[in-house]
Amino acid sequence: MRNYSFTIRLIAALALIPICVPMQTIAEVSDQDFANLKAMVEQLNTEVQTLKTTHEEDQDTIHKLQQKVGRTEETAVDAKQEAAAATAAATAAAQATPAPSNATHDFMVVGDAEVQFGQMIHPKTNATFALADFAPIFLFRTSDNVMFEAGFDFTLSNNEPNGGGYTTTANLSFATLDYMYNDYLTVKLGNLLLPLGTYSERSAGWLNKFPDNPLSRDVLPGNGVGIELQGGIPVGHSGQYASYQLFGVNGPGSVDGSAHASQLDLNSNVGFSSDGTQTNLHSHPAGGGRLAWFFPWKPHYDAELGISGEFGPWDDAETSLWYGAVVDASVHVSPYFEVKGEYMNTWVQTSDMGTIQPRGWWIQAGYKLAGLNLDVPFVSNLELVARYDTINDGLLQNQGTRTDRETAGFVYYITNTLWFEGDYEWLHSAGPNALPSQAYIFQMSYGF
Amino acid sequence: MPSPHHYNAWKFWLSRSGGAALLAAFLYAITYPSLYAGGDGKTEQKPAATSANTTTAQKLTGEDLYAINCNRCHAERYPREWTPSQWKTLMMHMRVRANLPADQAREILKYMQEQSGN
Repeated sequence: MRNYSFTIRLIAALALIPICVPMQTIAEVSDQDFANLKAMVEQLNTEVQTLKTTHEEDQDTIHKLQQKVGRTEETAVDAKQEAAAATAAATAAAQATPAPSNATHDFMVVGDAEVQFGQMIHPKTNATFALADFAPIFLFRTSDNVMFEAGFDFTLSNNEPNGGGYTTTANLSFATLDYMYNDYLTVKLGNLLLPLGTYSERSAGWLNKFPDNPLSRDVLPGNGVGIELQGGIPVGHSGQYASYQLFGVNGPGSVDGSAHASQLDLNSNVGFSSDGTQTNLHSHPAGGGRLAWFFPWKPHYDAELGISGEFGPWDDAETSLWYGAVVDASVHVSPYFEVKGEYMNTWVQTSDMGTIQPRGWWIQAGYKLAGLNLDVPFVSNLELVARYDTINDGLLQNQGTRTDRETAGFVYYITNTLWFEGDYEWLHSAGPNALPSQAYIFQMSYGF
Repeated sequence: MPSPHHYNAWKFWLSRSGGAALLAAFLYAITYPSLYAGGDGKTEQKPAATSANTTTAQKLTGEDLYAINCNRCHAERYPREWTPSQWKTLMMHMRVRANLPADQAREILKYMQEQSGN
């Protein structure tokens, strides 16, 4: 029994060895090792905290990205919906709107109309309304380089005193067949607006900022029947160009065929006589032309200078010549201010007064008050205009008439094509055909 | 009795013949490009620009030319006032009336048609 108990105790002791030895070993860890172990644990703890912080930041970033993705998806959905709506609208518009025409022929009517109210002050007349002009222009385009265009002037006037009623006058102001041969040459045939200065082609009627024409235009023919060659030649790439116009027309005529000064008729000789005879009143046509230079330095800032002239016989016997020369200029400084004018001198050989020189000039300026940038109703639509013009018929001292005129007025732009104009004119006229000394005119102009 | 200012016939004919010669020379000069290109009246196609420094890069647009030219004589007309076909007709009219260079008229027409009404 004793041996058995010893054996059991021995076995128990041996069994406890593996258990006790480690405990003994742990119990034997030095302070240094513990300190190292503690430091390591603290370091690990720090790293865990860092990782935890990083994780939280990552989670926050992921959350934000998820929000962004959500918004992007919403935007994408909206864009899809908008695109679908736009596609539907475009499809509907395409179905509703016919494709642009590629027709080679086209016909249009443009032009202008003017209604006036005016009165002469000295000598005084009754104030009156008047249909100043209805001027349609018919445009027939028959290809890319051929066009026929014709302009008419319809006016009303009372019949002779005691006659009653009124007369409607239809005047063919121009009618030309235009053939654009190439980029530099256009041929015009027919009743031409003569390029003596620029007024006839580019300032008359609705384009004029005054209800009436400059007096000095009366010394020049407005149109002529014949042929004209013209073209514009670009200079550089800044918009500059030079232009030329050369024409041959029947030329001025004589009322009674003689070369008497009083018989000069600048606007006759259209090729057919009143009895139906097809003939020029004299055997040679007149010729002339215009050369011009247009110089823009930026949009709305430009200058144009032109010289033009015409010469030819005017009496039936061709014993006398008529010469005319014109210098024209225009300047635009800003969209609001412009100045333009013409000087014209003519020489007329006559059988009774030698060579006379009907002549004159005009200059006009306009300023649009929109340039002041005033926030005042109506003011921005107003343009103030002023003009000086003069004419001398060139006849001898006791037979001639000279008139100077100052005009001040305004243009109110109701729309870009509907204008209300008004001006007051002071005239200084002397001679057998002296004009009234003062007048006012209001005009409604419509360009269409 | 004839005036002493009456012209002499020979001076008249001299001026006419000189004028005719000048006219013939001028006509030859302005029609030469077409004759050289085969006489069909069409402009030769220019090669495309090969450098950003070429003058092509500085060429004014139709909108620029519209702003430069179209309000010199009248208030500017809005592109939507007319259809593309009508603008073609109107630009032919204005090219002749204002004597615009053909290439400028084409650029303006292109701009007006792009912005035109239906």
